[in-house]
Amino acid sequence: MQIIIDKVKCEAKLGETLLTIARRNNIHIPTLCHSDALAGQGNCRMCMVEVSEGKTKKMVASCIYPVTKSIEVITNSETLTKMRKTLVMLLSARVPHNNTILKLRQEYNLPPVTRFKSDDEEECILCGLCTRACDEMGISAISTVNRGINKKVSTPFEEPSTVCIGCGACAHVCPTGAIKIEDIGEERIIWEKSFELLRCSNCGKPFITRVGFEYIKNKINTEIETVCENCRKDAITKKLRDIYGF
Amino acid sequence: MKNQSMRINKILVCCGPGCLSNDSLDIYEALKNKIESDKPYISIETTVKATGCHGFCEIGPLIKFLPLDFFYCNVKVSDVEEIYQKTIKNGEIIERLLYHDQNSNQKIKSPEEAGFYKGQKKIALRNVGEIDPLSIDDYMKRGGYKALKKALLKSTTEQIISEVEESGLRGRGGAGFPTGFKWRQCAQMQNFPKYIICNGDEGDPGAFMDRSILEGDPHSIIEGMVIGAYAVDSHSGFMYIRDEYFLAIKNMTKALEQARNYGYLGQDILGSGYDFDIQIVRGGGAFVCGESTALMASIEGRVGEPRAKYIRSVEKGLWDKPTVLNNVETWANIPVIINEGASRFKSIGTAQSPGTKVFSLVGKVKNTGLIEVPMGMTLRQIIYDIGGGIALNKKFKAVQTGGPSGGCIPEQLLDLKVDFDSLDKAGSMMGSGGMIVMDETTCMVDVAKYYLAFLSEESCGKCVPCREGIRRILVILEDICNGRAQDEDLDLLIEICETVQATALCGLGKTAPNPVITTIKYFKDEYIAHIRDKRCPAGVCKELTIYSIDKDKCKSCGLCAKNCPSSAIKQEQSKIFTIDQTKCTKCGACVDICNFHAVKIGGALACR
Repeated sequence: MQIIIDKVKCEAKLGETLLTIARRNNIHIPTLCHSDALAGQGNCRMCMVEVSEGKTKKMVASCIYPVTKSIEVITNSETLTKMRKTLVMLLSARVPHNNTILKLRQEYNLPPVTRFKSDDEEECILCGLCTRACDEMGISAISTVNRGINKKVSTPFEEPSTVCIGCGACAHVCPTGAIKIEDIGEERIIWEKSFELLRCSNCGKPFITRVGFEYIKNKINTEIETVCENCRKDAITKKLRDIYGF
Repeated sequence: MKNQSMRINKILVCCGPGCLSNDSLDIYEALKNKIESDKPYISIETTVKATGCHGFCEIGPLIKFLPLDFFYCNVKVSDVEEIYQKTIKNGEIIERLLYHDQNSNQKIKSPEEAGFYKGQKKIALRNVGEIDPLSIDDYMKRGGYKALKKALLKSTTEQIISEVEESGLRGRGGAGFPTGFKWRQCAQMQNFPKYIICNGDEGDPGAFMDRSILEGDPHSIIEGMVIGAYAVDSHSGFMYIRDEYFLAIKNMTKALEQARNYGYLGQDILGSGYDFDIQIVRGGGAFVCGESTALMASIEGRVGEPRAKYIRSVEKGLWDKPTVLNNVETWANIPVIINEGASRFKSIGTAQSPGTKVFSLVGKVKNTGLIEVPMGMTLRQIIYDIGGGIALNKKFKAVQTGGPSGGCIPEQLLDLKVDFDSLDKAGSMMGSGGMIVMDETTCMVDVAKYYLAFLSEESCGKCVPCREGIRRILVILEDICNGRAQDEDLDLLIEICETVQATALCGLGKTAPNPVITTIKYFKDEYIAHIRDKRCPAGVCKELTIYSIDKDKCKSCGLCAKNCPSSAIKQEQSKIFTIDQTKCTKCGACVDICNFHAVKIGGALACR
């Protein structure tokens, strides 16, 4: 199937999202709540695009809109830019000092937002990626609590979680760096809970929490070595080099 | 005399939400006890029934006497003895308990003579107020479960779907999606199991339409659902009822039990070999759970947040299976369509919106209550003929339809026909049927602020425009009402509203700015008065209002001073009364009490 994005003909598979197709064709659509590791959420609305199907035209979130027939898509009309500007303005009012949003604000040539009172400490834009990542890990230690203007991400009752494994997936996917993760020596502190870190048996660098390591071991039901990601990649590279004689 | 008394064989005591809170259950119990205790001594054939809402909530508690067909209003427990002695035993009508129509200045006996009931046409509410909701026999006596027999034993699923399609019935939950088309799409899916849902999570402030049907005629909903389930080949249904509606949950639980015992629900329904059962799910306690996809998430045990509907629920709904979700009122319409046929149904209402619509008519109108009218009736007819006009004979200002995310419709559009498309065009919407009438003492900016404050708390907070947009819209509206807003705020307000409308994830978010957009559209001068002149024309926004006493009109009666709760009104040596602005809380008690219209309402700037 073929669809047209910004006058470019693109190959598309049935059910693929518009964002996936656009990215494959090097067409830029801004996103905040999207991670390639997770399914689309459609929360931040920055990726809204215009879809024309015959005579009807509608605005859809490209990260979750599945292609089912030949359509024409526009990713950067005047209306879309205007909407994105308002969204960035609203986000700037929420997190006035966050670098990710600051960059976005400069990209859209917007002045600092002075009209509204803001919380100077706030860094979270409630995109939902962290809770999604935690769910996918099979832990669900954090979730969004409350609703409307009081919504936030939290552990149950705002107490240190009893199930968190300190894997840091939440902090890793956070687009605004709002989740504090601190590794000091052999200790990791995240969500106000402290974890013991294990050292890589190869390079000696602390790289994973003990509970996290045990969790993964149990989940895949195999003995694994305590080797960090870098050393593991090195080992694989060395193996390949030996086989193919680079 | 005795013959006359024999003629009253049924007494219907309204036990709808409004009357219940005015002790109608005690009235019912007292009447019943009275008759029971006398039964061994005199022959009385009268039965008393506690029924669902009679509709005319303004003058409740209501009691209707059949077959003579007259009704009493504002009944108190202390009236029971007299009613028993005079009306029940002797067939005598007690004049003082009859409804006094203010407009015609007449005492009215029969509901049919009352303006409130005259223009109404009852389909969804056909049994509400007429039967004991806890009695399946009452329901069956009025033709209940006849449609189910016709559907299951004499029709094919195709015939049922065609009939509903042909009737033109559109979803009564608000969006007006064609019901028959929804069923057909779901019926075509070859993915099982399929689910049927009844949305009874009515959350709009001032709305009690679905509640009245759930409480007053639960079997009509069950019958509709079984027919719908059979048509799309589903075997499992859910009744999602707002958690606060404990009476609805109680009556529905009983009704489901009865339906199972009578073979209308459960296995092998009516011997047809078809199985279907319904379970009740208590609502998650959030306004947003009334949104269909959030409702399904809530049934699944997840947080009640909506999802985008790019893939419709008829394809992937509850647990990703084909699902038909309809509102309470839609389901209650189904048995009538099957019984009486599509063409009969289509003959009521308008071509694009056939049938009737239930509204809860509230606000500054003389006759508040629950009404059902044919689609296409004008707002003027609803407010003036049925509603009896504006309370205290004040001037009409606007009517808000469609719940918190509906819009405010001004006087110049009073002749607008009420149907799905006309209301949309006016910038409002049908919604589930709330109708709030406002008079000249209402500040439209304050109204918009009220709804946005409600929505800011009830937005699920999932998507940025709804969560952050509504929050900032509310800030601007508060500033306008406090006199702190600037000219450019109006443009910013419109900019944010347009973005929320265009980009929000679900229907609730997209429609959330409607109260602001419509009030700016129709009452822009009020916004300008607040922003530029720092004046609230209706005298509602306290920071922008100053009360003062007009020396020329004041007769020095002192009534205002006596009624001022903060003792801000004092008589000076010259005998003239003045208001101490440092003490005045701007409650408006002096304005209401003054017989000479001597208390002036002015803007802050104008008076300084």
